[in-house]
Order: sequence, then structure tokens, then C-alpha cells
Amino acid sequence: MRLSFIAPRKKHLFSIFTKVWIVFIISIVILLNIFNLFIVYKNSDYKQTAIKIKNQRIQLEKDIENIDEKIGFILRQKAVAEEIYANNIILKDSIKNLFDLVPDQITLNKVIMEKNSLVIYGVTPTKDAYNFLLSAPLKSIFHTSQTIFYLTDKGWYNFVSTNKIINPEGGE
Amino acid sequence: MDKSMEKIDIIKLLLYLLIFIVATLFMILIVIVPNIKDYRASKIVYKKAYVHKMRVENVLVDRDNELRNLNIENRRALTSFMHKFSTDNFIKYSGQFFNEVSLVEVEKKEYKKEFVEYELRVSSSLKSPTNFYDFLEGLNRYENIIQADFPIRMESNASTISSAFTIKVYDINATK
Repeated sequence: MRLSFIAPRKKHLFSIFTKVWIVFIISIVILLNIFNLFIVYKNSDYKQTAIKIKNQRIQLEKDIENIDEKIGFILRQKAVAEEIYANNIILKDSIKNLFDLVPDQITLNKVIMEKNSLVIYGVTPTKDAYNFLLSAPLKSIFHTSQTIFYLTDKGWYNFVSTNKIINPEGGE
Repeated sequence: MDKSMEKIDIIKLLLYLLIFIVATLFMILIVIVPNIKDYRASKIVYKKAYVHKMRVENVLVDRDNELRNLNIENRRALTSFMHKFSTDNFIKYSGQFFNEVSLVEVEKKEYKKEFVEYELRVSSSLKSPTNFYDFLEGLNRYENIIQADFPIRMESNASTISSAFTIKVYDINATK
């Protein structure tokens, strides 16, 4: 038996208006979540990259330390080499100057050069020749200069001249 | 038929609007804003780290260039230090200036921590002191780093001058 003239309408749990709002709100929440995830991803990416860069920087600093050590070692080698080369030239000049000091009248038989002393053995025709021509320049170079003469059979003089430089430290 | 879209319920509309605003504000203020702050802080840290690294990288490039230039400028001294001293080669070299060269090793000691100093006594005879000057000049072009040193003894004989002097050979200390 029918009690109504119209067919019953289908009842929905949510009206279209409600559904539209639910969809709209969920869409916005999803969009905000996607944006949030993007921010979280970029954040973590920056953090990881910063750590990677920091490690690379530490490695670079170690490389700089190694290079600095190498540079220091090269500079020390350079300094030692230059000092040695300069010493060789100074030594050559010293010996050359010594032989240039000796006049033709005087003959040297033996020379012993130490760091701070010079001993010369030689022959001179007269004491005066020695004193004027060799002793004077030697005295201007060395702090002390002592000479011993021995008369030879030919009437010339053998001499031994000991010259010393006194170091400020007190040694000779 | 559903007429909810035609006859809008103001109360419902306000309620949904309120829910929308609350949900959006919650998402923005509680979730997104702290993350954005964190993101900005991370970006600043990243930029600082990047700038620092770039500066260090530039310093490294400068140092590297300096090292390369020093290596080129001092190649001769560096290779001389690396070269192993050979008595045969030295006697051969000395033979150009002296006769009857002999070498005796006196002592070996550390020099300025990174170097080793070998002291040798050279005995020889030469015709004129000029040979000795040439020898000393040539020493600065020799394959090793060598210093001629005191005591120097020269004695004239019948036709030659006998000489005895010290040389110091410098090597890299391999233990350092």
C-alpha cells in the first residue's frame, strides 16, 4: 500500500554545498602541505650541502697547511743554498785578496787559513820590505799580528806571520 | 533535488569559513612558519659556509701558484739538495782544477734539523791559485750543495802548490 504520491528522494549524507567546502578545505590543506614539504626538503638540502661544504673547506685548509709546509721547506732550502753560495764567493774573494796583498818582492811558502786566523810562512829580502808592503795591510785587517824573522844563508829573511781576529764573544 | 547551492545556509557558510580559516591558519602558523624560519637560518648557514669555502679556495689557488713559482725559481737549488753526493763525481769535477785529488770523510752531522752536513777533507795539488778561484766559483754550479770551508792549507812545492781544505756537502735529512 502506498502512503505517498511522490517517490522518496535519495538522501545524501553531505549536501553539495558541504562537499564543495570539504573539497576546497582539503585541497588547500594538501597544497599547504606540499608547500611545507618543499620547504622541509630545501631546508634539509641546505643543511646537508652546508655540512658537505664545511668538510670540503676543512680539506682545503689541510691542503693549504701542506702547501705552506712545502713553501716553508723550499724557502729554507733556498736560504741555505744562497748562504752557501755566498760563503763560497766570500772565501774565493778572501783568498784572492790575500794573494793580491803580497808584493812581488815577497814569496809565500805556506799559508794556513782558519776561520779567525791566518798564518803565513814566506821569504822577504828585508824586514822593511815586509813591514811596509805586507805587515801594514795585514794589521789593518786583523786585530793582532805577530811576525818572527829568521835570517837565511842568502841574507834574506824567512818569516812566520800569525794574524788573528778576536771575536766579540771572546774566542779567536 | 539538492538545493543547497541555491539556498545557501548562512550559518553553515560561516561555520565552513571558520573551519577553513582555522585550518589554514593552523597550517601556516604552527607548521609552515617555523619551517620557513628554519629554512632561512639554514640558508644563511649555507651561504656563510659557501663564502668561507670560496675564500679558502682562493687562498689555496694563490698558495699553489706561489709553490709552483718557487719550485721553478729554485729548481737548481732544490735538485742539488736532492742529488746524492758521489765522491767519484766530485773527484772528477775537482780534476778539472787540481791534480791528485783525494777525499776523506771527517764527520756527518745534522744541520738546521732538515739537512745533513757531510764534512770531507780534500787534499790536492794545483799549479796556481787561479785554479782554486775557478774551483770555488764552479762549486756554486755543481750538482750538489757544497761549501768550501776552513781550515785551508796551501804550501808551495817545487812546481806546484799542495792544498788541503774542507768541504761541507749538504743533503736533505731523509728522516725528517
